[in-house]
Amino acid sequence: METRFVFYGEAGLPVYANFRADGLRSLLKGIETVSGSSIYYHFHHALFRRHFITSDYLNDFARWVWLHLNEPSLAEKLASLDPVDYGTVREAREALWRLIREAVGASESVFRVPEGEEFYFSELRSFVYPVGLEATDLESFGRVLDQVPDGSLLYHFIAAAARLGHPRNDFSLWLEFLGEEELARQFDRVSPYAYNLHQLRARMVELIRARLDHVRDAG
Amino acid sequence: MSATLGDYVEWLGQGEIREIERLAGFLGPLRVQHINSTAEGGGVAEILHRLIPLKKEVGLHPQWTVIEGEQAFFDATKAFHNALHGRRTEISREAFHVFRETGKKNLNKVQRDADVVVIHDPQPLPLVEARDQTRARWVWRCHIDLSEADPRVWGFLRGFVERFDAAIFHLPEYTQHVGIDQYLLMPAIDPLSEKNRDLPSGEVQKVLERFSVDPERPILLQVSRFDYLKDPLGVLEAYRKVKRWADCQLVLAGGGASDDPEGERVYREVLSRVDDADVHVLQLPPDSHREINALQRAATIVIQKSIKEGFGLVVTEAMWKGKPVIGGNVGGIRRQVLHGVTGFLVNTVEGAAFRIRQLLSDPVLRQRMGEQARELVRSRFLLPHYLRNWLLVLLALRNPGRGVFRLGLPAD
Repeated sequence: METRFVFYGEAGLPVYANFRADGLRSLLKGIETVSGSSIYYHFHHALFRRHFITSDYLNDFARWVWLHLNEPSLAEKLASLDPVDYGTVREAREALWRLIREAVGASESVFRVPEGEEFYFSELRSFVYPVGLEATDLESFGRVLDQVPDGSLLYHFIAAAARLGHPRNDFSLWLEFLGEEELARQFDRVSPYAYNLHQLRARMVELIRARLDHVRDAG
Repeated sequence: MSATLGDYVEWLGQGEIREIERLAGFLGPLRVQHINSTAEGGGVAEILHRLIPLKKEVGLHPQWTVIEGEQAFFDATKAFHNALHGRRTEISREAFHVFRETGKKNLNKVQRDADVVVIHDPQPLPLVEARDQTRARWVWRCHIDLSEADPRVWGFLRGFVERFDAAIFHLPEYTQHVGIDQYLLMPAIDPLSEKNRDLPSGEVQKVLERFSVDPERPILLQVSRFDYLKDPLGVLEAYRKVKRWADCQLVLAGGGASDDPEGERVYREVLSRVDDADVHVLQLPPDSHREINALQRAATIVIQKSIKEGFGLVVTEAMWKGKPVIGGNVGGIRRQVLHGVTGFLVNTVEGAAFRIRQLLSDPVLRQRMGEQARELVRSRFLLPHYLRNWLLVLLALRNPGRGVFRLGLPAD
C-alpha cells in the first residue's frame, strides 16, 4: 500500500450490446449471454447513475421488471441485490440469473412487452485515468475528496468490489493503512444504497471532518 | 462571446470540469471534422454552434463543414427524413439518384488530414465514399428516431452506414441491426444560450404583454413545430376539457412553419379550431430564442404531448426552468419526464387533461416536480455532459475494443 492515495476516475460510454429482451424468458437469456461489461453497466454502474429520481430501483433490471413486466415481487428481490456485495461480475450475474430463473414460469403476468418497451442490453466502454490529484494524509484526503469527479467515487467506492474481488472499497483500505481503523469501518458502513453520489461524497467528507475535529480537540 | 468551461462550474462542480479537461488531455490536438447539411436552423446546427468552441477550448481541433445541394437534393432528404420517421412517403428512383450524385459533388469537402470525421444525420452519408482518401475514423451521428424506419429508405442508407467505424444514437431503442459499434449519447441543452439563460423578470412580462397573455392567470404552454406528431390538436382538446373546471390560458408556440407545407396546414387547422380568447397560437420566427425562453419561464405547466419524439430538447429546456412537464409517453420524453417525479407521462387527451387539472390544483406538487425536473437536467443534460460524452466517443474510436481501457497508466 502506498503512503499517498492517488485518485483515479472512471468514465464510461454506453454501447448497445445487440440484445433486447421482451419478457422474463428473454431477460434470462440476456443475463446468460451478454458480456460481463453489460452486467456491470446495468448492475454496478446503475448505482452510479442512480439519483433521487430512481431511488426505488438499485439497478436497471429491477426497474424494468417493476415498470414494464409488472412483477413487483421479483423487482423487489432484484433491487435488494447490493452491487457492493459482489466481488466479481460473474457472481453478480449468477445472483441475478437465480432470481429471474425462479420467476420464469411462476409468476409471469406479462409475457411480452409492447414494441418499444423492451429491455435493451447495453455495455460500457470504460476509461480509467489518473485524476491528477492525490492525498498524503487525512486532511488532504478530505480536501481532495471534495474536488474529484463523480467517476472517482464510482471507481474507488462503488466498482472497487468488482475490481478487487472482495467487498471492500479503496478508501477504507487506505484509511486502515493510515491507522484510521475506526474511520475505515465507518466508511465500510456508508451504503451507496442510502445516498445519491452528491450525498455520498458529502457524507464521507463529513466523516473525515468529524475525525479531524476529534483529533484536534484531543490534541 | 462564447462561454468557457469555467462558466459551467456552478452547475457541474469542479470535479466534472476536471474530468473533461483530463479526458481531453489524453486525446491531444485531434482533428475532428463535423459535417452536416445546414449552418443555421434545426437542433443539429444549434448544438454544434455551442459545442465547437468548447471542443476548441479543451485542445481539440474541430472543424465544421456544411454540404451543398440543389433543391432536388433537399426535397429528397426531406422525403427520406419523413420515411425514416415511419411515415408513408412516396420516393422516386430519381430521389435516390440525386442523393448519391450530390454526395459525389461534395466529396472534396472531406478534410483529408482529419483524424475523425463525424457525419450528422443522413444527408451527408454518401461522403463516406471518401474514407479511403483519409486516415480518419468515421462515425455517423444519427439524431433521428429510426425505430420505425421505412425499410426501403433504411435499406438504401444502411449500405453507407456500414462503412463507418461506429454510429451514435440518442437511445438504444433507435439502434439498428448493423455490424458496427452503436454508441448511446443523449443530447443536452446549453444553460448559457439565449434560449436557456436567466432572463430579467421585466423581459418575461414584456413578452407576455406582446402576445396578450395574462401573467396573473395560469399558463399552459406547448412549444413545438406545427406538426401532427406533436399533437397540437390533442393539446387543444385537453385544454378544453380542463377549462370547464379551472381557469387557465393555453399558448401553442411554434416556428419555422412557413417553409414546411405540412406545418402551414397544421397551423391553419389549429387556428381554425380556436374559438377562445384564452388560446394563443403563436407562429414565431426561428430566432425567437428569448421569446421562447420567456414563455417557458412564465408557464405554469409545460406540455409536450408528442406522438413521436426523437429526444425532445424542448422538454429539457422547460425542466431546466423548473417546470413540471406533462409529456407524451414516447421516445426521449420518457427519459426526462419521470412519471410522478419530474412530471407526468400521458398516452391520451384524457390523460393529459386529468394531469393538467391535478397540477393546476396543487401548487406544492408543481413546485416539487419543477425542482426535481431542474435537478435531473442539471445532473445529466447540460452541454458539458454532452462534451464529456463526445470525448468518450473519440477515445473509444481511438481505442477500439471492449471493456476497460486504461489511460495514462501502465498496462495491466
